[in-house]
Amino acid sequence: MARIHKTVTGDGFLAKQPTNKTLLDIHRRMVRIRHFEERAGKLMEDGKIPGALHLYVGQEAVAAGVMVHLTAEDQITSTHRGHGHLIAKGGDFDRMYAELFGRSTGYCKGKGGSMHISNMDLGMLGANGIVGGGPPIAMGAAFANKFRKSKHVAVAFFGDGASNEGSFHEAANMASLYKLPAIFVCENNGYGEYTAQANHQAVVDVADRAAGYGMPGVIVDGMDAVAVYEAAGEAIARARKGQGPTLLECKTYRFYDHVGVRGMGLNYRTDDEVKKWMKRDPIKLFEARLAEQKVLSKKQAEAVHAEVLAEIEAAVAFAEQSPMPDVASLLDDVYSTAG
Amino acid sequence: MSAVASETKTRQLPYVVAITEGVREVLKEQANAFVAGEDVAGAGSVYGYYRGLLDEFGADRIYDTPISEKGIIGLGVGAAAAGLRPVLDIMFMDFIGECMDEIANQMAKMRFMFGGSATLPITVLTMAGAGANLAAQHSQSLEAWLAHLPGLKVVMPATPYDAKGLIIAAARDDNPVFVVLNKMSLAMMGDVPEGPYEVPIGKANVVRTGKNYTIVTLGRMLGQALDAAKQLAELGIDAEVIDARSVQPFDTEAVIKSVEKTHRAMVVHEAVRFGGFGAEIAAQIQEHAFDYLDAPVARVGAPFSPVPFSPALEKVYVPNAERIVVVAREQLGI
Amino acid sequence: MVQAIGIVANPASGKDVRRLVARASVFDNQEKCAIVRRVIVGASGAGATRFVYAPDTHHIVANAFAEFDTTAEEVDAPRTGSALDTTEAAIALRRTGCAVVITLGGDGTNRAFVKGWGDAPLLPISTGTNNVFPRLVEATVAGAAAGVIALGTVGLGECATRAKIIRVAIDGEADDLALIDAVLTRERFVGAKALLEADALVLALLTRADPAAVGMTSIGGLIKPTAASSREGLLVELGTGGRALRAPIAPGLYRTVAVTGARRIAPGQPVEVRGPGVLAFDGERERVLKNGQRAWLTLATDGPWVVDVPTTMQLAACRGAFLEGATDAD
Repeated sequence: MARIHKTVTGDGFLAKQPTNKTLLDIHRRMVRIRHFEERAGKLMEDGKIPGALHLYVGQEAVAAGVMVHLTAEDQITSTHRGHGHLIAKGGDFDRMYAELFGRSTGYCKGKGGSMHISNMDLGMLGANGIVGGGPPIAMGAAFANKFRKSKHVAVAFFGDGASNEGSFHEAANMASLYKLPAIFVCENNGYGEYTAQANHQAVVDVADRAAGYGMPGVIVDGMDAVAVYEAAGEAIARARKGQGPTLLECKTYRFYDHVGVRGMGLNYRTDDEVKKWMKRDPIKLFEARLAEQKVLSKKQAEAVHAEVLAEIEAAVAFAEQSPMPDVASLLDDVYSTAG
Repeated sequence: MSAVASETKTRQLPYVVAITEGVREVLKEQANAFVAGEDVAGAGSVYGYYRGLLDEFGADRIYDTPISEKGIIGLGVGAAAAGLRPVLDIMFMDFIGECMDEIANQMAKMRFMFGGSATLPITVLTMAGAGANLAAQHSQSLEAWLAHLPGLKVVMPATPYDAKGLIIAAARDDNPVFVVLNKMSLAMMGDVPEGPYEVPIGKANVVRTGKNYTIVTLGRMLGQALDAAKQLAELGIDAEVIDARSVQPFDTEAVIKSVEKTHRAMVVHEAVRFGGFGAEIAAQIQEHAFDYLDAPVARVGAPFSPVPFSPALEKVYVPNAERIVVVAREQLGI
Repeated sequence: MVQAIGIVANPASGKDVRRLVARASVFDNQEKCAIVRRVIVGASGAGATRFVYAPDTHHIVANAFAEFDTTAEEVDAPRTGSALDTTEAAIALRRTGCAVVITLGGDGTNRAFVKGWGDAPLLPISTGTNNVFPRLVEATVAGAAAGVIALGTVGLGECATRAKIIRVAIDGEADDLALIDAVLTRERFVGAKALLEADALVLALLTRADPAAVGMTSIGGLIKPTAASSREGLLVELGTGGRALRAPIAPGLYRTVAVTGARRIAPGQPVEVRGPGVLAFDGERERVLKNGQRAWLTLATDGPWVVDVPTTMQLAACRGAFLEGATDAD
């Protein structure tokens, strides 16, 4: 090697970068989602949780990287795969498990279940059993924020499959038309239920669709929490400044099946593909980076996992011990003629 | 029935202006209310019933939307969940097919699914009714679709008075309420008080009292039933005419009370008879007043066919006073 | 003998977070497909008959060829949806011995390509965000230029020049390279990649300092312009106490940077940098340097061949390449 011309050392970091506190916050949100879902999946397969669960495992970086920018006054709409969004928005394990168990102490008093889990106080306007159900509602919430001249934003989470629903397109057009503080976060996990993206849309990048509505479209690695954090931060800041909506596409993957863990045994994707994506486990990737930057040691990470697992045990116990809803409550909370 | 202050001035106004007055009162009364729909702001709606409101309340309160019914209802659901009180306009009731998911799966169910934590004070104005030669996709009366969805209220103002009063009541209600208007009633004149007043949702209106026959009507069929009642009077039938006003909730009590007195009943609506809301009313009557009935409940509605275009066909399609009389005579054997 | 024209289109170019911060436009893949079609038309018009291309996750090139009778050979390369695809595609295309490669992308795409084929004959068409290396050129004409090169009408030595590059050695890790700029920034993560934090910039080594371009090259260019054709590069140092300079550090994004020094630097002289920090290449954060980890940035003049389209077309025209009856050169 020739003579060294110059040695320069980078020292110190900028305040604008995610602080250690923020990084640890993102990490904890991801870990909370992961363990909640792992346990929920087992409980479902053991027959303890009735009905269907759509697990968020694999996509944690998206919910955590976006939600760390939001307050309870900012609204989100979610999808059928909605637990992760509620957890990242500050959802309480006790009330979440209770809802999945169909108990009266659940967030929806046992009337919504997994697919409709929500909490208005946290600005979580609902998981949604209808693919594409969320974007118009988020657009409406964003409208309310603008109507009130607040600085709050509304984020619609939806998938590649939902980007084919007319509801997404109508919502995107109106959000852009009215310059609403809305962010459309597409979690492109490559499958609309059991159909590969290549078999359900002619475009590979949902972000391309932004151009049709006069809003920016951005693609980001949805397995990289920092990448999501940065891009979401820009989109949210833009929305808060009144500059209108953004379509943020996060390329991600669900590690488990469309429904449950092992799912229905439908032959629609290969084990190799799943393994390949699991190598980019967003939590492992993030923990490696945090360790590299000496933000969170392996031991400290383990402690976070242990804490979360303990909290989950307590929450499952709480849910199991909670009463079922009183049958008389069937007709509450809805306008009903009970004819 | 409705509390109108004694000093309030009452004018003769057309139905279309009564709608405007209703919406105006809502926008005056509720700072969180806004109007959104196709052609509502600049154009004042295709039937003109928002005319003047843009100038009066400004662009922050009344919004032209794209032709995007899912977007319109979604806008209302999200905005209501976030604390506003939207007044939405679906130009023709036929278009609810475009947004049935947002209506049926989001708007109607959200409050229940979320364990009561969400309130959705949404008013939807929409235009139903045949008779204007607008053919199959701009003429339907689809109240039965909506009445079948737990979580929604559905009212059908038959008069200018009711149009204003039901719009105000709908906007004050914390549930989503559909106000099903009728395009053939727009020019209908009637007494309309100045200022705000409410027509309570779920209370039927006994418009004509009678002794031995009950006719229950939905929406615009009130006028036809009243005409029919006059003809029936000449045949010795003293018909009581009840305007349901609201199909969801439905005032079963008022109808039963009448049938207990008259022992014979007919249901009239403009919608297709088969599977129409009249079938529910007939079922309610037989469930609650079977022992009082001297005859099967008669139903008058449109034939089981899409609304035709040709005036010659449409004329026979839409129920009217003559058909009511014919069916009543068959039912009663007179 | 007619040689093949290589085509590689990066589906990921023109879609990153700079859509937001730098007001860059979305480069959708339908447009990239249309560009490839125009390339095919241009190249065929010039008489080219053989094409090889790299697969891409979005089937941009395959879909473009589907419209024509012209056959094209797809080389065997992975479709992982990462920059690795472009690098692997370069290796595979090199094996085919194609005469020239048309790349669709921005600086990042060409950088990934050159990592796989260091002295590639490139005809870069800009479909990226930061486009200093590729040219804004009408695709039909670019295709024609590639065509006359494939036919041998114009030789690479006549119409192309070798670009400078920056070779990057990182202590204990794989080497890397940059085509336009290599930057040390006081950031911690690669994150959304785009280099946008002006305050974090520490040092930039530029193969060219272009005052008429955007990106890191403009910082040097607005102080001490250094041409692509010059043998030297420019080393810019930044940080507190430096002279304030307004520069378009990305498309649509002017920022004030503090420049403490700018000097020309000759090829072969390594610049040593030390972590912690992130090394960014051609406008994108790429490599994390751990605390104390060293890296060396060295300017080199043996980068890829870059075809100049106007020169190529002039030479071809002078030789009557497009006149009836003309075939390939002897």
